Amino acid sequence: MSTVLSLYVANLKEFVRDRAAIFWTLAFPIVFIVLFGGIFSAGGSPSYNVGLVNQDNGPVGAGLADVFQHKVKPFKVTTSDYDHAIADLKKGTLDFVIVLPTGLSQTVESHHTAQVQFYSDPSKNQTTSQIQLTIVQQVLAVYNQQATQTVPPLALATNSINTHVVRTIDYLMPGILAMSLMQLGLFGTATPLVSLREEGVLRRLGATPLPRWQLLVGQVMLRLTIAIAQAALIIGISMAAFHVQIQGSMLALAGLVVVGAITFIAMGYLIASLARTVESASGISSAINFPMMFLSGIFFPLALLPAFLAPVVRALPLTYLADAIRQVSIGSVPDFPMWVDLAVLGGWAIVCISLAARFFKWD
Amino acid sequence: MAAQSSAITVEGLKKYYGATKAVDGISFDVRQGEVFGMLGPNGAGKSTTIEIVEGLRDADAGSVAVLGLRQPREAQAIKSRIGIQLQTTSLYPRLSVTEILDLFHRFYPNRKTIPTETLIRMVDLDEKKSTRSKQLSGGQKQRLSVALALVNDPDIVFLDEPTTGMDPQARRQLWDVMLDLKRQGKTILLTTHYMEEAEQICDRVAIVDHGHIIEIGAPSELVHRHFSEIAISFQAPDAAETYQSLAGVSHAVSEDGQVTVYTTDAPRTMTALLARESADGAALRGLNVHSATLEDVFLKLTGRALRD
Repeated sequence: MSTVLSLYVANLKEFVRDRAAIFWTLAFPIVFIVLFGGIFSAGGSPSYNVGLVNQDNGPVGAGLADVFQHKVKPFKVTTSDYDHAIADLKKGTLDFVIVLPTGLSQTVESHHTAQVQFYSDPSKNQTTSQIQLTIVQQVLAVYNQQATQTVPPLALATNSINTHVVRTIDYLMPGILAMSLMQLGLFGTATPLVSLREEGVLRRLGATPLPRWQLLVGQVMLRLTIAIAQAALIIGISMAAFHVQIQGSMLALAGLVVVGAITFIAMGYLIASLARTVESASGISSAINFPMMFLSGIFFPLALLPAFLAPVVRALPLTYLADAIRQVSIGSVPDFPMWVDLAVLGGWAIVCISLAARFFKWD
Repeated sequence: MAAQSSAITVEGLKKYYGATKAVDGISFDVRQGEVFGMLGPNGAGKSTTIEIVEGLRDADAGSVAVLGLRQPREAQAIKSRIGIQLQTTSLYPRLSVTEILDLFHRFYPNRKTIPTETLIRMVDLDEKKSTRSKQLSGGQKQRLSVALALVNDPDIVFLDEPTTGMDPQARRQLWDVMLDLKRQGKTILLTTHYMEEAEQICDRVAIVDHGHIIEIGAPSELVHRHFSEIAISFQAPDAAETYQSLAGVSHAVSEDGQVTVYTTDAPRTMTALLARESADGAALRGLNVHSATLEDVFLKLTGRALRD
C-alpha cells in the first residue's frame, strides 16, 4: 500500500506544480461559477418585467391580475394594452407578456376551459423563460383549485411560489458541477495519460516490477482528489457568494460527485486507449465534450430541446449526472428516478472500464 | 553449468514488423560480470533485441533466459533483478532528482536498494539533486536515467544507447560511471553506435546489421581477425576497385567519396599512391594513416560507415 501512496504523492506533487493544470481544473470552474453566479443571481432574488394585458371585464380577470401584480414577488407587472405590451416585449423592456383574453370570466363561469396567453421571446434566455412559465403555471394551478372548489390534496399557498422560486443560478450550479466532473474525466484524464505514454513515462514504470494496478490506483486517487476539491470549491462558492441552498443531504451530494467522477474518469481512460497522440486525445475529448455540454440539460431544461434529440439526450451520461445532482441540490422534479440515474452512470462506467482494459496500450 | 556462468542467453531471436525483419535470428550469450556491447547503426535491431531481453517486447520466435529465468514467462521476477535504462526516458517533469529516485525505491519492495544519496554521488548529480527533472540538461537526464537503472542494485544493467546525443564531456562522465560499474563486477548489456565507446568499455562486442549479428568477439580480437593491415584513407571520387591493385593493398572500400585501403606494407602502398597522385595531378586530400579499429571492421563487413 505504501507504494500506491508514494505514487499518489508523486502524482499530486506533479499536479500541484503544474500551473496550467491547476488553472484548468480548479480556477476555470471557479471563474465559471462566479461569472454565472454574478449574472444570474444579481440582486439576490430574481425579478422579471412582466407585461399584463387584461382584456376581460369579469371577476376572473381581475382576480388573476391582482395575483400577478401583488402576490408573485419576482414579477414587476406593467399593465397596458396588447399592442404596446407586444412592442415592449420585442424591444426587450419586458421579459414576457400575459394576456387575459376577452370573455375569460364568462368562459370560466360556463365551466369551459379558458386560455391565458403567455408570450415570450424565444431568442432570450431559455432557462429563465422556463422558470417564468413554471411560475405562471403554478399561479393558474392554484387558481384552478380554488375555482373548481375542490379540496386540494396539497394546499399550495400563493406565497410559496415566492420563497421556493428556483433562481437560474440554483439551476445552473448542479450543471456546472456535473460539467466540471465530466471535463476532469475527459481533458483532465485522457490528455495527461496519453502524454505520459507518449513521453515514455508509462514505459519506464513498466520496466520496474511495479504492478500496473498500483500505477492505475495511484492515478485514479489523484483524479478523485481533484474532483472532490473542484466540487467543494464550486459548492462552497455557490453557497457562500450566491446563497445557493443544498436542499438534500451533503453526503448524498458527495456520493454523486464520486460516482460521476469515476464514470467520467473511466471514459477518460477509454479515450486514452483509443488515442495514440495528445492531439487526438484532446480532439476526441472536445468532440465528446461539446454535445454533452449542450444536450445534457446542464444550461437549460431538457424540455426545451427538440423531440428528435431525445434519444441522444437519453444516451448521454451527463444528462443523468446533472439530473441526479439537481435532485439532491435543488430538490427539482426529477427527469428520471434516482435509481435510473445511478444505473446509467454505473453502466457507462462499467462499459468504459471494460473497453479501456481491453484496448489500453502501455507504450 | 551454462546457466551458472551465463547472465543472459539468447537463441534464435526473431521479431518482424510486417515485411521489416527488425531482428532476424539473433543468438548470443553474456557471461556473469561481463560488459557486452551491441554495436550497429540506427535501425540495425539493437534496441529491439535489448527490449525483448528486458521483457518490454515480445519476440516472434526464439528464446531468452535472463539469470536463469525465462522471458517473458518470468518477466516480473526478472524485472526486480535487472536495471533498465531506456533510450528515451522522460520522467515526471516536475519532480526533483531526489524525489524521482525515492519514488523508484518504492517499486522494489522485496529487494535491498542503493540509497538515493549514494546513487546521486555515483552519477555525479549532487549539485542537481533538488532540480526538477525537466530542468536538467540532456546529459544530466541520461545520468539520472542510469541512476534509476541502478536503484535496485541490479544483477544486470541494461543501457540502451546511453550516450547518444551527449557532448564529449558528458559522454566521458558517463563512461566513468560505466567503468565504475564494471569494476564492481556488474554484468552490463550495452547498445551503442559509438565505436570508441565499444572499444573502451566492452569486454565483448556483437556487430549487428539488418537484424543479424555479423561478428562477435573482444574488440581487439575482432580487429586482429580482420586486419593485420594498416588503414590509409583519403578523399577520392574513384571506386574502391581502382585501388585494389596498388602495391601492398589487400582490400579497399569507398564510402561517400572517402576511400580506405588496407595494406600489409604501408610504405610501398604510400609510394604507389603518391606516384598515382603525381601522374593524375590529383591531390591526396584528407590523408589519414591509422591502425584498423572497430570502425574499419564494421566498414569492411557491411561496406558502410557506422557514423551517422
